[in-house]
Amino acid sequence: MTAQEIVFLLLGVVTVGSAVLVVTTRRLVHAALWLVVSFGALAGSYLVLTAEFVAWAQVLIYVGAVVVLLLFGVMLTEAPIGRSDALDSGNRWAALAIATATAGVLVTVVVRGFKDAYLPPRPGGGTAGVIGSSVFRGWVLPLEVLSLLLLATLVGAIVLSRTDVVREPSDDHDDHDDHGDPADHGDHDGQGRGDA
Amino acid sequence: MNSVSVLAAPEIHAPPVEFSQLAPMLIVFGAAIVGVLAEAFVARPARYAVQFPLALVGLAAAFCWTLWLGFSEKPQHAAADGAVAVDGPTLFIQGTILVLAMLSLLLIAERAQDAFTAQAAALPGSEAEQESMADGGIQTEIFPLTLFAVGGMMLFPAANDLLTMFVGLEVMSLPLYLLCGLARRRRLLSQEAAVKYFLLGAFSSAFFLYGTALLYGYAGSVRLSAISAALSRSGGSETLLLAGVALLSVGLLFKIGAVPFHPWKPDVYQGAPTPITALMASCTVVAAVGAALRVFYVAFETLRWDWRPMMWGVAILTMMVGAIVAITQTDIKRMLAYSSIAHGGFLLTGIVATSESGLSATLFYLAAYGFTTVGAFAIVTMVRDTTGEAGHLGRWAGLGRRSPVIAGIFAFFLLAFAGIPLTSGFTGKFAVFQAAADGGAVPLVIVGVLSSAIAAFFYVRVIVVMFFSEPEPDAPSVVTTATTATAVALGLTATVVLGVLPQPMLDLAGQAATQLFVR
Repeated sequence: MTAQEIVFLLLGVVTVGSAVLVVTTRRLVHAALWLVVSFGALAGSYLVLTAEFVAWAQVLIYVGAVVVLLLFGVMLTEAPIGRSDALDSGNRWAALAIATATAGVLVTVVVRGFKDAYLPPRPGGGTAGVIGSSVFRGWVLPLEVLSLLLLATLVGAIVLSRTDVVREPSDDHDDHDDHGDPADHGDHDGQGRGDA
Repeated sequence: MNSVSVLAAPEIHAPPVEFSQLAPMLIVFGAAIVGVLAEAFVARPARYAVQFPLALVGLAAAFCWTLWLGFSEKPQHAAADGAVAVDGPTLFIQGTILVLAMLSLLLIAERAQDAFTAQAAALPGSEAEQESMADGGIQTEIFPLTLFAVGGMMLFPAANDLLTMFVGLEVMSLPLYLLCGLARRRRLLSQEAAVKYFLLGAFSSAFFLYGTALLYGYAGSVRLSAISAALSRSGGSETLLLAGVALLSVGLLFKIGAVPFHPWKPDVYQGAPTPITALMASCTVVAAVGAALRVFYVAFETLRWDWRPMMWGVAILTMMVGAIVAITQTDIKRMLAYSSIAHGGFLLTGIVATSESGLSATLFYLAAYGFTTVGAFAIVTMVRDTTGEAGHLGRWAGLGRRSPVIAGIFAFFLLAFAGIPLTSGFTGKFAVFQAAADGGAVPLVIVGVLSSAIAAFFYVRVIVVMFFSEPEPDAPSVVTTATTATAVALGLTATVVLGVLPQPMLDLAGQAATQLFVR
């Protein structure tokens, strides 16, 4: 067993262990922090497999953005931060059974599928340069369409969350009035532009 | 596309991107982006007047370009370095999607009977919601969002590799999840529909992606032609292949709404604003079936002895469950949703045929069914009482006496769904069943005919309710406006023409199918 394999194994143990703690801990904030450990160890596994770019993307997006989003969610919704027993769902045994079964199927498929096929990791095989030249050569069109997906998502998020669409009800206009006073309009449009 | 500036770097060679062949898609996406800019810079009262023509012109221009591609260039080509296949079936499906999207857009743009909420962020039943309602505004972002969805629908069936297909799937689905939650009436139902569709849709996308990963493990490539080539070499791991096919099928069948991946359909169709339901029931089904056709005909054709039994089972279940459960429905939109599930089953019989005639029959069926569906949902938006659309079937009692024309047209659409001769539904079903029978799937055809008969029962029941029962004193009235009436008229014309004179369209579908798929 090479040093690389040992490190990979250890990182795997950390990933699975902290993932189990995410769902078993009784404190919401601890769950979010264990998630950081799990994602971080996963990023480490990617690094060991020489997938540098994926590893850094994992750190930036999951450890950085997603967990911060989770913590903000906890803060903004005034969720219970201390120990709480309400975190246990009544369905947890059914969920455990399904999760174990799914994991069993997937692991069996991968183990049986690849058997003892072994591909030695190539240093520098997953750098940003290699991925970039592949993405911008063969995958240009899907990549550009993905940017449209982001745009659509942004527009959608604004549609779902903006609360300043309505003008202040003024005394002088009738109920079905499409043309409000222009001054009021400019103000709201300004905010709309800021959002977009 | 900003690829040009990136490609200026010395060591990256420009991939060939055939802009002319991708133009229909690019026009739709371009119109969507102009729409987003209009949303930012045009004053609120003028936005609707800008967005609606912009979207309509964008779709029409894309359709004209598709026609030109189809009739002049006869492309048979994998464009953008093999990411997108521009061939006969692609152009037929894209053209169908564009026309159906234009019809749906007419419904979406209906202002007299706003289907969309004025402010999505307002809590249902709150004061802010009432204010925004009284304000009479409309969230014009629906137009660019619709165009994004249509662009995704055009990419989904045209994708030549599984990764591009996944991107198309997401671009198509995400705007639809959002649009589902924007109904004006019954906001809670609408939001429930949006959340349900989002969660289940994300789940099915994960299946699709996992299947893609396993197939990559099998073939070493996500390109459909490479998977097909790997299959004919018959090396590699069976486990990865079969698990990959199964997971990929789950993702595709979810979008078609085949049993057992259908439970989202009635809830989402009922909760979404009816114009969006029309868009989903027509264009999304066309796109999803188109993608399934390409995957099963191009990548897994040599594997058909393995996936056909599964497809048989799914098709039989889908036809029977769709038809039988529809009988118990009392809400008109839910009933049409189950009818759409049953039609998904008929379309699957066309996929099972795996022949050129199966392909052309499925293409024809898609076009015929799409027109009828948009027309039927357009009429659902017209029948209204004080609380909005009259969803409950009981409220439709006696409609035939109060508005015989509308009730008559709706009855005609229902007969087309049932597949009565002289409607497009009959021609479509006949073509699909014939192809399936030629392909050796006679039991499947028998089940199809049986479930058509069961389905005819509940279609006729609606007709009986409309024409042979007394109207309630406060029965809903029919609100006719120019745009909705246009959509109904076009849907009706297509249903009649494709029923009485189907040959030109059949020829067109046949011509598209003779080119088969590029590899």
